[in-house]
Amino acid sequence: MTATRVRKFDGGTWLADAPVDLWTLARWAGTAAVVLFFIFPMIFMLMVSFKTQPDIASGGFVPEEWFWQNYPDAWNSVAVGTYLRNSIVAAALGALVTLVIAVPATHAIVRYRVGGKFLPAFILATYVAPPIVALFPLFFLLRSIGLVNTLFGMALVYGVMNLPVAFWLLSSFVRRLPEELEDAARIDGAGYGSVLLRITVPLLMPGIISTGIICLILAYNEFLLASFLTRSESTQTLPVGLSLYQGDRQLRYGQMSVASLIGIVPVYLLAMFFQRWLIRGLTAGSTR
Amino acid sequence: MAELDTAPHHTLERSKAAGRRSGVLSVDRRRMIGWAVVMPLIGGLIVFAVYPFIYLIFLSFSDSNLGTLFRGWVGVENYTDAIGQSKFTASLFRSAIFALMTTLVSVVLGVVVALLLDRAVKGRQILRTLILLPLMTPPITVAVMWQLLLMPKGGWLNSFLMDMALFSQPVSFLGSPTMAFPFVCLADVWQWTPFIALMTYAALQTLPEDIYEAAKLDGASGLAMFWSITLPMLGPALLAIAVLKLVIAFKVFDLVFVLTGGGPGQATTVSSFYIYRVAIQQFDIGAAAAQTLMFAVVVGLVTIPFTTAHDIAEKRLS
Repeated sequence: MTATRVRKFDGGTWLADAPVDLWTLARWAGTAAVVLFFIFPMIFMLMVSFKTQPDIASGGFVPEEWFWQNYPDAWNSVAVGTYLRNSIVAAALGALVTLVIAVPATHAIVRYRVGGKFLPAFILATYVAPPIVALFPLFFLLRSIGLVNTLFGMALVYGVMNLPVAFWLLSSFVRRLPEELEDAARIDGAGYGSVLLRITVPLLMPGIISTGIICLILAYNEFLLASFLTRSESTQTLPVGLSLYQGDRQLRYGQMSVASLIGIVPVYLLAMFFQRWLIRGLTAGSTR
Repeated sequence: MAELDTAPHHTLERSKAAGRRSGVLSVDRRRMIGWAVVMPLIGGLIVFAVYPFIYLIFLSFSDSNLGTLFRGWVGVENYTDAIGQSKFTASLFRSAIFALMTTLVSVVLGVVVALLLDRAVKGRQILRTLILLPLMTPPITVAVMWQLLLMPKGGWLNSFLMDMALFSQPVSFLGSPTMAFPFVCLADVWQWTPFIALMTYAALQTLPEDIYEAAKLDGASGLAMFWSITLPMLGPALLAIAVLKLVIAFKVFDLVFVLTGGGPGQATTVSSFYIYRVAIQQFDIGAAAAQTLMFAVVVGLVTIPFTTAHDIAEKRLS
């Protein structure tokens, strides 16, 4: 019992040393159950993507016969490629807009207390409102400046949508920044802008990357605003494209699974490659 | 979120001193540049939050449809109409229940996963990557995954239950007035528990180890240590995480859109979906605006007790 309670035990001999008691078994079973719960829906969708329509209806887990045709069919019948491109463009541009605005602003707010206590509280308060609040006013605003149904308009919307999140994530990184370097550069005569660009931004890079990835994913996954603000295939994002399957009288589950899988590949790859950055960013708020 | 106020108070004093020493950038000048740099952010917030809010207030007192806005002023009619519509008030209630239920379940489950993650010596890396994935998945795709699991004809859950001979007939889980709502909640819990687990795991790492050492010397059991040390010390962090989850849960839209379309009947019509339909199907923007503002009030009313509890818990701990 006590052997299992040691925190941050280093080394791999633990499993051999620990007595296999009920507690340990329960922990293994629990871990297995958790893993199964979280990956099962993904695996099942993967299986469905290889099934024919009758095979899907018959309800097995593994396809009776591996049916590859769903892949070319999905690619050809809906504009998956276009949707994917739109999503990536809107999300990447949006994340860029967010960072360009949020990095200098967060630095000034946290370091120089611009806006006092009110501004940080206000920024976070704007995050509380459900996006439906912004939906119609944004639509009329974008319509009046001719940006409805454009990728550029979507990128701007995503850029400002994620500002509170970016501020929240970045502020904990800014707070941990050593002040001495900035001060030293300033004493050497560097101006505000060059200190920001040459000292602060490089030091903040881990936080900027983490925040950028999270904003990218949030924008990539967004549906409500995109469904209302984009109206044609040339601008609709992948979540909107996926939702169009739901309008079919006979739902093409196989192809819908394929399109969904294509849509999650980019984010899953990001998650794999930038796992450490992502986790650092996500947890920045709770470990300050 | 609320911890933001606890920024180090010496920062200003120190940078003031540095500014004076250097004489290059006066504090006043730095403040000015600071404000200039913050302006785009404020501008963004005005566009995304302040302007929509004010716009909605005006819309809510007007007769407006999607084609023609502001066809005339109608006073508080949109509000009284909304209160009179039992379907709308029920959707507010449903949104609140959805937020509270999914928060409760995913926080409890998230703590369990965080503890498992904390204790796992081997395979922690794999476990962490795996549970990141639901969080990364677009909510629309989460909905598609659960649609496939739950559909009556060929859905995995039905086949499984029938194979186990628990059911003789396939059940339409999402078509059932009693089961549709819990299953939409389940899909949401699936997506958000990993987020809570990761945040809780990070908070766990900040707990001082010596308390555990001392408790162990006193012969405390693992369970006792969890209840009397871990949980109380995690309290403020967990409440902050719960507030975040509540806020996110009130935003739910995609899941309902794909899984149930708000049905059967009104069984899963949460407010954001109800309002969306009023605007898209009835084109009544004035009514939708009034309802949106009332919804925002409900979000605040449900969230505030939790932020208050967080502040109290934090004070008590320090």
